[in-house]
Amino acid sequence: MTTTPGDAVNDSVIHDIGFRHYDGPRLGRGWAFRSLLLETLRGAFGLGRPAKVKIMPWVLVGIFTVPAVVIVAVTIFTKLDSLPISYTAYPVAMSLIVSLFLAGRAPYAVSRDLRDGIMPLYLSRPIKRQDYVYAKFLGLALAVFIFIATPITVLLVGSLLATFPVGHEVWTWLGGMLMAAVLACLITSISLVLASFTKRRGLGVAAVLATLVLASGFANVLVSVVDMKSSRTNGSFFAVLDPYLLVDTLSGAWLGVDRYNGPSQPIGAVETLFFTAALVVLVGGMLAILLRRFRKVGGV
Amino acid sequence: MTAVSNLTVDLPAGVVGLVGANGAGKSTLIKILLGLMPPTSGTASILGFDCLTDGLAIREVVGYMPESECLPLDVAATEFLVHMARMSGLPANIARERAADTLRHVGLYEERYRPIGGYSTGMKQRVKLAQALVHDPQLVFLDEPTNGLDPAGRDEMLGLIARISADFGISVVVTSHLLGELERISDHIVVIEGGVLQRSTSTADATRLSGALLVEVTDQADAVMARLRERGAKVAASAASGTFAVEMSDEAVPSWVVTVVADLGVGLVRLQRRRHHLAEIFQTEADAAPQEVQS
Amino acid sequence: MSTIELGGVSRWFGNVVAVNDVTMIVGPGVTGLLGPNGAGKSTLLSMMSGFLPPSSGSVTLDGTPIWRNPDMYRMIGLVPEAEAMYDSMTGEEFVLANARLHKLANPAAAAIAALEQVDMMDSRDRRIGEFSKGMKQRIKMATALVHSPKVLLLDEPFNGMDPRQRMHLLALLQRLGSEGNTVLFSSHILEEVEDIAGTIEVVVAGRQAASGDFRSIRRLMTERPHQYTIASSDNRTLAAAIIGDGSADAVSLTATGLDVQASDFGRFVHALPRLAHGANISLFDVTPADESLESVFSYLVSR
Repeated sequence: MTTTPGDAVNDSVIHDIGFRHYDGPRLGRGWAFRSLLLETLRGAFGLGRPAKVKIMPWVLVGIFTVPAVVIVAVTIFTKLDSLPISYTAYPVAMSLIVSLFLAGRAPYAVSRDLRDGIMPLYLSRPIKRQDYVYAKFLGLALAVFIFIATPITVLLVGSLLATFPVGHEVWTWLGGMLMAAVLACLITSISLVLASFTKRRGLGVAAVLATLVLASGFANVLVSVVDMKSSRTNGSFFAVLDPYLLVDTLSGAWLGVDRYNGPSQPIGAVETLFFTAALVVLVGGMLAILLRRFRKVGGV
Repeated sequence: MTAVSNLTVDLPAGVVGLVGANGAGKSTLIKILLGLMPPTSGTASILGFDCLTDGLAIREVVGYMPESECLPLDVAATEFLVHMARMSGLPANIARERAADTLRHVGLYEERYRPIGGYSTGMKQRVKLAQALVHDPQLVFLDEPTNGLDPAGRDEMLGLIARISADFGISVVVTSHLLGELERISDHIVVIEGGVLQRSTSTADATRLSGALLVEVTDQADAVMARLRERGAKVAASAASGTFAVEMSDEAVPSWVVTVVADLGVGLVRLQRRRHHLAEIFQTEADAAPQEVQS
Repeated sequence: MSTIELGGVSRWFGNVVAVNDVTMIVGPGVTGLLGPNGAGKSTLLSMMSGFLPPSSGSVTLDGTPIWRNPDMYRMIGLVPEAEAMYDSMTGEEFVLANARLHKLANPAAAAIAALEQVDMMDSRDRRIGEFSKGMKQRIKMATALVHSPKVLLLDEPFNGMDPRQRMHLLALLQRLGSEGNTVLFSSHILEEVEDIAGTIEVVVAGRQAASGDFRSIRRLMTERPHQYTIASSDNRTLAAAIIGDGSADAVSLTATGLDVQASDFGRFVHALPRLAHGANISLFDVTPADESLESVFSYLVSR
């Protein structure tokens, strides 16, 4: 029995599963940048990686957020009339945990790439060298921001549950979010620079942790000692040596909130200008170093 | 660092082999062609794009397989390739599909779900190749793709490269130190020395038949040679026993050999036209193998 | 004064048996050590150079065990695969340091001689950190040659070398071999091994698969039929004639000619010219397709 064109259609077919060409859209530099940023952000929390890698960051998320929950519980049950710690002061008080998180994630974002030698693969793609630096920076800064913002938001929820005045709480919360973003940018830029000078993750972790913790300790001592010793000089200028105190001072200067560590008198214009300039110089300078570092590294 | 100068070469489609001494400028050339580095003088263009101004556009349609170690070890091949596909500009879903397909084409199956750190050298080379192909480039640069592979692995990689050109329709520029490999897979050879183009020749031309016929018989080689000389052929004995070379002074020379061998009742093990080899390009006049056959 | 002998040598690391009961004699001349990745070649070379003791069996140089025997180290030069060197030293300094370590009478002269042998005289004052892979290989060679050892062991020495450097090194090894030294090198590039190695040793997964001249090894593979590629003026008629004659197991027609499989090598090679001549067919090309080292090797590995 033969089949002629008029008959019922023969259902059998062999499909061509050879190499398929692609004629669709190529989304170019912006999309590549976005992909790298997202990959960095996800990597910071261990997403898309084996379970082993998720432990450290999420444990730290827990350690960092639980106290906020406790504070909220205490506030509600002991019927306090305001939060015992402000939105801006929380990250400064818990700075060690923040430093631990960043110390782990910054090398993961950058030292790993250097050790693996992946730069030629990125450079042969439609991005420019500076895109790599900015994507890594923004991705990690975003991760740190989310890290810091979570307990601050828990505090907000708590304050709303405790029926504190909504407008005031939300307003100060927004201020807290702003300072969280500023803090994230500052400490991320510093940590990335430190991590970018070593291929060994362990070394990177140690360097970041040591720098942040020592700076903090050093600055805190200087602030207190100079304040004690001299009546005319304002020891609080030394706060610029510690990123956390720097941001703490800025929250006092820009938002008028009480500083976590420092005298409670309002901050003058000179101090405001000084600390704001310091912030800009530090972040800009760190990014410049990063750009310079990656200009030399990883030739094709 | 060696710069590249006066390099004017039209790379034809197909597989182009790039040879040169270490430090001769091959890496520099690739950087220039990828638009990552401006040439110190002259112009460079590839696939119709100007290397100086269209770097981003070039890198959208070109793939690169580096020689160095460049793979993240704690990620599975699938994740890695999807990420690379996206970084080449492919939308999310397309990236996923093409990544899966490309891994199949380079011959990675279940192992693709395991972290790359546990892969053998051969498998790692395949992943490197896959990331160069995943975005359907028009041209790929393969830098020493068979480095570190054992003979079986080399064979497979060379077969894969041939397929990329013949079946996938993607132009290939491959660098290698192994002339035998290049003879096997490339259609065209470019030689760079000290940053300057030395030769550009088709492989067919570089491996054309030379004027000698290599013969190997089971026994009575001397008798065979004597009879051939009687006919006027120029014959020279070779080192290996039973082997000799005959100058192809006449198209009928192979027939003479067969006739003589049949008459003497001797076994014919080998009858081969000698070819030129790429290696000859690298030999100086002093130690060039003599092509003349002495009788 | 230069034969390395392995007697029933095994080497294991926990449950991983890198070398499994290998008996091997490596004498003067050039020997190629072949095997797939992970077959145990580097382990064998480490044991022969005194870096590792065998877990069982004996590794001796002219009868004397090599392990922990500094006198033996003086006779052996090793060019390892590892690349790590002192990046801050210059090439000359490094070779000189090695010469001194060997307590040579005139270390400076020996260093210069070694550098000349590997063609590194021009770059000897540059720091090793700036060297390319090929240059580092040559410095490693120089350090292995500086004390004029009778035995030279090389682990993948051609890695990263460009064509000229390869030719140079091949010529050097060939010369050393012909001067009576024992040269053993491992390589994946079979064309080059074929070129200069009189003997080969093939290891597969820690076992010794074959040893000797590869052409003789091929002849030992009697269970494997010989493959021939033939191009003639009339392939079909020739094919029919060969099949009719019965001297071949199988004949296939290809785009370029004939592929013939013949178990009886002698009978076929005698029949072929007779058949072609008798049928007035011109033969253009008769090539044994599986006589190369590459073919022999792939067969040994897949057994």
